[in-house]
Amino acid sequence: MVVEITRPGKTSLLLSTPVMPAAGTVGFGDNYHRLVDYEKLGAIITNPVTIERWNPASGTRLVPLPGGILVHTGLPNPGLKRVIQQNRRVWGRLPIPVVLHLAGTSAPHMKQAGEMIDGLDVIAGIELGLNDDIDEGEAFALVSAAAAIEKPLLVRLPFYEAGHLAPAVLDAGADALVVSAAPRGTAREEHTGRLVSGRIYGPLVKPLVLRIVGRLRRQVPEEVPIIGAGGIHSPLDARDYIEAGAVAVQVDTATWAQPKMLERIARDLGGWIATRRKDALMDEWHPDMGQTEAAQRGAAQSGG
Amino acid sequence: MKDTQAYIERIRRVSRDYQRLELAVDKSLSSMLAGQAVLARRIEKDYEIQHWNPYLRELWFPVEILNSNIIVVEVPAAKSYQPGQLLSLLGPIGKPFKFRRKLRNILLIAYDTPPTSLLMMLPALLANDASVTMVLMGTACQYDTGHLPEEIEIVHAEEDLSWQDMVMTLGWADQVFVLVGPSKELANFADVMRLVRERRNDVPANYIFGVFQRQLPCAVGACYVCMLRSNDGSKLQCVDGPAFDLTSLHLEN
Repeated sequence: MVVEITRPGKTSLLLSTPVMPAAGTVGFGDNYHRLVDYEKLGAIITNPVTIERWNPASGTRLVPLPGGILVHTGLPNPGLKRVIQQNRRVWGRLPIPVVLHLAGTSAPHMKQAGEMIDGLDVIAGIELGLNDDIDEGEAFALVSAAAAIEKPLLVRLPFYEAGHLAPAVLDAGADALVVSAAPRGTAREEHTGRLVSGRIYGPLVKPLVLRIVGRLRRQVPEEVPIIGAGGIHSPLDARDYIEAGAVAVQVDTATWAQPKMLERIARDLGGWIATRRKDALMDEWHPDMGQTEAAQRGAAQSGG
Repeated sequence: MKDTQAYIERIRRVSRDYQRLELAVDKSLSSMLAGQAVLARRIEKDYEIQHWNPYLRELWFPVEILNSNIIVVEVPAAKSYQPGQLLSLLGPIGKPFKFRRKLRNILLIAYDTPPTSLLMMLPALLANDASVTMVLMGTACQYDTGHLPEEIEIVHAEEDLSWQDMVMTLGWADQVFVLVGPSKELANFADVMRLVRERRNDVPANYIFGVFQRQLPCAVGACYVCMLRSNDGSKLQCVDGPAFDLTSLHLEN
């Protein structure tokens, strides 16, 4: 099966499975190669990259929450040039497309990134992460600059402004919307007693983002692919996003909690979509349900 | 690094506050060395997770390897475990501790944290006739050492973090390993370094190691939550650690 996760055009991005790890969860290269079968995934989204080197955040970077975590890393990365140098061979060896996540800093930076990325075959697409505080005008300028890069462009919308920014982002040339970045929050760290701000991850994020995906699906044109991202921790979670109108999903910190779950979701969702298109019963790709067995029994009974 | 299943074969209470879990594990974990750890979480049958609280796995440094498929971990007695409980283990994580070739005297310091992460090195050190002194500082003084080998000299520090014969101990030690509690981790390492620098003429490279016990989300060098800054650039606890030469780390927060 093939899933097109960008608008049709010269720079389409086609995946064999509509499941990817979210940016910031699996590193820049193949860090998870011992734990996850990359062939089962649709693509890899790299950790966020900036033009300049960014250092890690000082102080607390992780706060455990009931049923989740708050994470604040400061998006450390050695800068785009070093990231490409260090990982291009690994990217070339990976059996799936590599989508480079660019942190949306400024339009000139996007231009510089384009100069480094254009012509690099090992990068199949770009995912642009928009800052939480960005306004429509800034988003338009940033996405326009990123759209000039000759790669398919996914734009990850901020959680709180996803619906508001989507029209400007699409007008500026985004090929697909990733909905959404993890919501920001603040929590008290137990050991230091300090309040820490960061992004919130966990199963409770899913219902919040799922609603945004559903609303955006009705808001934006049908040909605009939406990729659901937030709180997916099981195959059923991923199915809910497809049901709400997403064409593909990104799995975030569930990979940390249970690495094999990423692969399991990919296997399950790929199969489920294939069967759904053929109007097969759902349980033929999902062993927990008994619809086929029930149908067979019913047929046998009526036949007998 | 592998993702394997294990189960709790036996539980032994070793002190008022701690119990030891004997885990039947995959053979790949039986070759773990002191310094390496596993990330553990309870699971149900068929790899299912019933509860997401706690969300992340627990970091366990084994204290002993009994045979080719049993490793022993020490956990607080207040936490409830049952024999037969299934676990998912990611590991081995990190690099083994590096010891000097002619190590005769070793000093272990636990500051505001139990010394559990340092215990696995003890049998090998004692078997090689090394002298081991363990200094417990801050809340680590509450750790009951009755179940540790008798050959280890246990010292309880005073409130001001000094202890009897401190200068002599630091001068005598060929190598020092330090554990600190999670509260003000870098500041606590800096405190210990200050103590050592005040009482030793020079602190050579690879003399004093800080052992980091941060909670690890990914353990494969992907999330960068455990990143530290050093004279040699960025380091990751999960990949390059858990022990780092404290003379090369940037300990300012």
